Amino acid sequence: MLELHGVGYRYAGYANAVLHDIDLTLADGEIVGVVGANEAGKSTLCLVACGLAPGSIGGALTGGGLSIDGEPMAGKPLHAFATRVGIGFQNPSTQLSGVTGSVFEEVALGPMNLGLNPRETVERTNAALATLGIDDLAEREPRRLSGGQGQLVVIASLLAMRPPHLVLDEPTAQLDPEGTRLVGEALRELAATGTALLVAEHKTDLLDGLCDRVVVIDGGRIVAADAASILLEDPHLTEWGVEPPSRVRLAQAARARGLDPALLVGAT
Amino acid sequence: MSWGRFDTRTIVLIPIAIAINIVLGQTVSAALKIPIYLDSIGTILVGVLAGPIPGLVTGLLANLIWTYVLPAPFHSDYAAPFAIVAAEIGFVSGVLGQVGWFRSRPNADTARLVLGAAVVVIVLGLIGYYGFLPFYTNGTFTFFGDTSKTEPFFVIVGYLIGIGVVAAILGLIALLFVRRDLGVAYVAIGGLFCGIVSALISAPISAVVFGGVTGSGADLLVGAFQKAGSDLQTAVLQQGLLSDPIDKTIEFFIGFVILQTLSRRFVSRFPQGEKAVGLEQA
Amino acid sequence: MILADDLDPDDVERIRRLVPPTPSAYHRLNPLTKAVIATVGSIGAFAAGGYVGPIAVDLVMLFLAFRAGVLGQLGRVSLLLTLPIAISVVLVSVFTRAGTTILFTIGPFDATAEGVDFAAQTLVRLFAISLSIGLFVMTTDPRAFVFDLERRGVSPRVAFVAVATIEAVPTLVERAAVIGESQRARGLDTEGSIRARLRGVLPLVGPVIIGALTDVEERSLALESRAFSRPGRRHLLWAMPDRRWERWVRWALLALLVATAVARLTGRI
Repeated sequence: MLELHGVGYRYAGYANAVLHDIDLTLADGEIVGVVGANEAGKSTLCLVACGLAPGSIGGALTGGGLSIDGEPMAGKPLHAFATRVGIGFQNPSTQLSGVTGSVFEEVALGPMNLGLNPRETVERTNAALATLGIDDLAEREPRRLSGGQGQLVVIASLLAMRPPHLVLDEPTAQLDPEGTRLVGEALRELAATGTALLVAEHKTDLLDGLCDRVVVIDGGRIVAADAASILLEDPHLTEWGVEPPSRVRLAQAARARGLDPALLVGAT
Repeated sequence: MSWGRFDTRTIVLIPIAIAINIVLGQTVSAALKIPIYLDSIGTILVGVLAGPIPGLVTGLLANLIWTYVLPAPFHSDYAAPFAIVAAEIGFVSGVLGQVGWFRSRPNADTARLVLGAAVVVIVLGLIGYYGFLPFYTNGTFTFFGDTSKTEPFFVIVGYLIGIGVVAAILGLIALLFVRRDLGVAYVAIGGLFCGIVSALISAPISAVVFGGVTGSGADLLVGAFQKAGSDLQTAVLQQGLLSDPIDKTIEFFIGFVILQTLSRRFVSRFPQGEKAVGLEQA
Repeated sequence: MILADDLDPDDVERIRRLVPPTPSAYHRLNPLTKAVIATVGSIGAFAAGGYVGPIAVDLVMLFLAFRAGVLGQLGRVSLLLTLPIAISVVLVSVFTRAGTTILFTIGPFDATAEGVDFAAQTLVRLFAISLSIGLFVMTTDPRAFVFDLERRGVSPRVAFVAVATIEAVPTLVERAAVIGESQRARGLDTEGSIRARLRGVLPLVGPVIIGALTDVEERSLALESRAFSRPGRRHLLWAMPDRRWERWVRWALLALLVATAVARLTGRI
């Protein structure tokens, strides 16, 4: 379980905090979506949740703290976070390490860095590749993959570390529709593994049907949090700079023309 | 003063810095056949951002990797012997970064700019008069002395070199006033110093291992000096002392501009970034 | 060679496919051995000086290249790389080096026998260096070399830097090409005289460097999530084998190098 209690954060060199009073709990196996306008604080929240803020990028928590499974994580070394909460970013090419000649070795990199013996490393690598369905990519060169494939390899690499929690900051932002589809499917596979997921996304379609809960961030504060099925249909979403999922938008458009939205079931 | 740290960011920076060295070095020296190599900018950046020791390590690794690890077409058979020179450049940049010589000092009033320019000219003048002239006018190769015994060819070459050096100085001073940034003066003197040290270290290596040549236009200069009576080591050093300070000053200046262009947020995340680039004015 | 003996045969097979191919016996030598050969050859050539030492190194390297099946390639590449320097060596040494035995004269330049002698010695030496290093690079996979060093105790961070550079260079070139294209589309001229080319290259330098540097932030964050900053050694999946006799060869070669240097310094040769 990953918990943020009353957390605020300001970047190094800036006086003002960009996150205020964040209370967020990610229970084991839970899938939580984070939505909000650009610059609302989604990315900052992701960095704080995985310990890289302030651990790697400096700055300071202006209140509260992060605990994982009841243990406060303040001051812990960065590699202690790696086995508890992994993080994936938008750009596959900067997340692939650039030191491996094959997808297999890329996914094995994390376990190797943990000092595991070859047998365990290979086991975890095979399992991660299988979960994401990319075993057929194992001998390909990471740098020649498409964006979507690259992101799958990145997620597999994170999975190989066996973290109980995984944070993904807009994993499909730089992908084409095919890549987005691949990652969307991968997220569902991930959900089935029991890994807790915190996914920040603009594309609410991806979160629809995937998340248990959704949280809305606006101006660095959580302004709404509810079950996904309820919040994604909330009419205030657009005020917060969030585009509702297409099925919701279709239903709203139908109602506006006096049509019964139920007729559109199965259209999305 | 700190010697620098090797955090993850620094370790990720080093291969990229080495790549910058190699790509710029090969492109520029292939395009312009003059002894301006521009193959140390990455090393300089690491030195300033992460500290003298990381700068030194970057220089060392850059040349060793260039020879022993990189495959064709980026590979160089001849880089490894100069690893020590590259290490020195990284170390010197790091030290100068620590004492703030890469900081921008903008909006300097004219008086201070004139003072800065004057300091540069005085320093160059002193080095030139007490250092360069005697060194270069030994034997029959003279700038201003008795030219009756020398081949006219070499007198012309001598004057051309002199004009070139003066032009470089004027260019630097002009930059100082165009940017109105006193930091340019510091960078210029730093580059000069680094260039002189680099020439001193690389001359014996070049002479002993490569017979003093590099395959670029600089070799004509070496030939000229040798023809005028210097032995090989001296000729290489004479050539080096002319081209290296210019090369290093240009590279220091490029590094300086890049540091100013990088966002403050980026720079401040490096171990020595804040100290090197200076505190926010606003 | 797979560094574990408790793996499933399928996994062993898969890892074996990841190991770079070694088409000849020379390729199969341990990378460190090949590196020592290259270093002793290149340093030895100029430690020995004169003609005999460098020519011996040249012949040995050519022979080894023949056995490794890379003779043609090595010869061509070395010639190409050494040609520009060779021209300079000849011109500078023959025509400007002080000497007493004048062979012929062109304008103010006297070609001396001493100059020819010096040029010849330098050329033989330069070839020795180029052939030695070239042979190493052509018969050794860089990743295999770095893994071997890591197995022997080199820090994984240094190993990372070495291997990361291999990919960083072509990536930077690609980035430069892309930026160059977009600037050309905006009317930047990159052909023509030196001034035009300089003006063409300079606007590239800034964006290429800045772009490459800003990557550093994202890359280091991503690596932290792979436990990159965890101290301690790693268990590699594969590495090149090392044989007992190779160790003897390495020490013998190093001893030979030291002996040569000593002999040279004390005037023996």
